[in-house]
Amino acid sequence: MWTKTKSLLLSRILTMVTGGIVLILTFFVPAFSQWYEKKSLGRGLFGESGIALPMCICLYICEILALIALYELHVLLENINREQVFTQRNTACLRRISWACMLAGASFAVFGLWKFVFLLPAMLAVMFGLIMRVLKNVFEKAVEIKSENDFTV
Amino acid sequence: MAIIVNLDVMMAKRKISSNELAEKIDITPANLSILKTGKAKAVRFSTLDKICKVLDCQPGDILEWREDD
Repeated sequence: MWTKTKSLLLSRILTMVTGGIVLILTFFVPAFSQWYEKKSLGRGLFGESGIALPMCICLYICEILALIALYELHVLLENINREQVFTQRNTACLRRISWACMLAGASFAVFGLWKFVFLLPAMLAVMFGLIMRVLKNVFEKAVEIKSENDFTV
Repeated sequence: MAIIVNLDVMMAKRKISSNELAEKIDITPANLSILKTGKAKAVRFSTLDKICKVLDCQPGDILEWREDD
């Protein structure tokens, strides 16, 4: 039988597995960048060659941001598991995740100068960051309402 | 805060302890403490009704409005 506890456990496992995958991918970033440089056909402002280094930098920045976001997700899930849902700490987690997505978007946007196709993931990351920001605003309001409710005698 | 809770004054006048009042109005001592210390953000009419009944007073004897500085 599928329960809320199992769903939470699955989310925690998926967060950890994703974190592990991101860490493993770190070792393949230079090789992947060089492979992509040879195979890709897209164009950018700065010509078609010499994209391996900017791509490496962009991917490393995104990996760091992804790890930060995954750590915040892990903290968030831990707090939910402890029945501490609408707290200032969780709101801060969502805010940091939102900023991580926005910065990843900015990183992709800069790399988009070398390959225009990377403007698409940039837009997606910014869009996701925006959704997380709205979610953070909802959470912030919920924390306020809960606090008012807790202090109603 | 503009609303001042004078519950402790009324309790002293009626010579009733916090635990006794909490028991009589059926709220936890922790919640009564929140009310007494002015940390409460709202008071239910039902709670106010019970307090007034037990302390034999009017809501105005417990709550007071003062202009913010």
